Amino acid sequence: MAKTTLGGIEIEIDEDGFIQEPEKWNQAIAEDLAKVEQAYPMTEEHWKVVNYLRDYYLKYEIAPPIRMLVKQTGFDLKKIYQLFPSGPAKGACKIAGLPKPTGCV
Amino acid sequence: MKIEDISKNTEQLVTIESKDLIPLPYPYDDPANEPLMKRLTDDQRMRYEASLDGIIAIGIPKPSSKEEEEVFVKKFLSGLEKLLTPENNWTFLQPLYHSLEYCVKCQICNDSCPAYLASGKKEIYRPTYRAEVLRRIINKYIKKRNKLLLRLTGSDIDLNWTLVARLGELAYRCTLCRKCAQVCPLGVDNGLISHEIRKIFSQKMGIAPKELHELGTMQQLKAGSSTGITPKALGNIIEFMEEEIEEKIGRKIKIPVDKEGAEILLIHNAGEFVSWPENTEAFAIIFDIAGIDWTLSSDLVGYDAVNYGVWYDDIQLARIAVKHAEIVKALKVKKINVGECGHAHKAMIVVADRILTGELNIPRESALPILADIVLNNRIKLDPERNNFPVTLHDPCNMVRLMGIVEPQRQILRKICPQFREMEPNGVDNYCCGGGSGFAIMQSMNFPDWRSAVSGRMKLKQILEVFHDVIGPDVKKYVCAPCSNCKGQIRDLFAYYNVFERCNIFYGGLVELIVNAMVDIKKPFIEWEWR
Repeated sequence: MAKTTLGGIEIEIDEDGFIQEPEKWNQAIAEDLAKVEQAYPMTEEHWKVVNYLRDYYLKYEIAPPIRMLVKQTGFDLKKIYQLFPSGPAKGACKIAGLPKPTGCV
Repeated sequence: MKIEDISKNTEQLVTIESKDLIPLPYPYDDPANEPLMKRLTDDQRMRYEASLDGIIAIGIPKPSSKEEEEVFVKKFLSGLEKLLTPENNWTFLQPLYHSLEYCVKCQICNDSCPAYLASGKKEIYRPTYRAEVLRRIINKYIKKRNKLLLRLTGSDIDLNWTLVARLGELAYRCTLCRKCAQVCPLGVDNGLISHEIRKIFSQKMGIAPKELHELGTMQQLKAGSSTGITPKALGNIIEFMEEEIEEKIGRKIKIPVDKEGAEILLIHNAGEFVSWPENTEAFAIIFDIAGIDWTLSSDLVGYDAVNYGVWYDDIQLARIAVKHAEIVKALKVKKINVGECGHAHKAMIVVADRILTGELNIPRESALPILADIVLNNRIKLDPERNNFPVTLHDPCNMVRLMGIVEPQRQILRKICPQFREMEPNGVDNYCCGGGSGFAIMQSMNFPDWRSAVSGRMKLKQILEVFHDVIGPDVKKYVCAPCSNCKGQIRDLFAYYNVFERCNIFYGGLVELIVNAMVDIKKPFIEWEWR
């Protein structure tokens, strides 16, 4: 597993750049990840999505279904792709410090 | 290229080039517009075995010493030896033995293989190629046949690290679709050969794609699902589904969970909950209206039908199969009904029959016949006009070719989709989506590009052909794929070629079309929003 520097601290990432130490996640790390995912600078709308994903993850240990994300943030998928060009999973979830989605998803 | 070239220390055996790929129909008929497959970085090439075709599916680390190389080869050989003994391989020895001994090398099977055809007939992808490599290793190193004779008859081979590593990767260039076995006049199953090689790698050498093993079966046994959904998260998702159903059909439905003694335990691929909850919602709506006595399970593993072990490891397969059966027993339901998931059909209904004995051998069925029964007997009021757009059907290999479930889904579509049309070939002669045997979820390095450009190419070709007269974006079209894995592959394939935007072809399951045709819902159930 590779290490990299994000938000000024050293952190483990997988081969697709998802952080492997979710407890170390903070806003500065999110912003550095957002730079890689073309979601920088992060606006209030970006944070709304990221914070929702983060909160859901802390509660349920997984990412919410995409439809739930759409409903709870009030952003349709098109809007989410505008905010996070690499998509809800590879973009938004990565920035929110969630692990890479697994299973038949 | 010869069979024995696989052990030669060449930089790369085969290179995939756009110009060699089988041409696609309009509007993808200009090879100059073929997306470029991602090339491996120098670092990736240095660290992992990539000398087969420049693609990495499993990422076998390069050895750092001669000793390491030897240990690797030795382990493989001892795994192969075990594979040929009844006490170690009672599940598959008989068909393996048949396939090794009875192939007459007529090569008829080659022209049925989607990867071989799509690649422009690259030798290494022939279904008979990896089988012949394995056969030669067995003859020389296990049966210890006379070496001079082997050389004279042109069936010699040198076993070394390069061969074993390439063969391991090559076992993941076959989707186990078994179309080759379908056409073989002798019933030889070259798909099984790939499966058995994967078993040696997993069970003996500890090498398997991370998505199938560590994040797949291991995570499923620990967290309850390969998706990471825990029972607590499931509860939240079910609540969400109930809200969605109420919004969509204007009526509340209670999704039954852990209902003891129910007629049917419906078990979905948990990927549906995350990526396509409309599929699980549609099931709930149909079963509720038709008055089926059913339930979901919230027990660990009981809400995830997947069993990735069926693709690479018999031990993992057995662990999950037994877990599924125990849950059914504890819940005292009459039978399991498997939702729209192809490999779970194979694992749970077919292969598990060799594992589940006595009381654990509970009745296990596909959901397709009961859906056909509901639709054909008008247990739900449906108006086909609501599905008045071109629809085609993808046949998931495990349900259709393997199990012969051909008609129920067609009976439904003929009744509720006035513009239903068949791809050619179809039914048991179908082409795999290209994502079979776990490919659809394997994301390693440049492998996703390979499964879109090569293993999924025949399917894309078929889809474009079947809609050729309405290919423009002005007509919305639907590929019905009643399997989570196939859906994931078709989604990625369409994204790779930008098919949704360019041709307005959408994809989804079967139950969504049924609910979409219901007369008493106001808005269409299918939303035609890319995801």
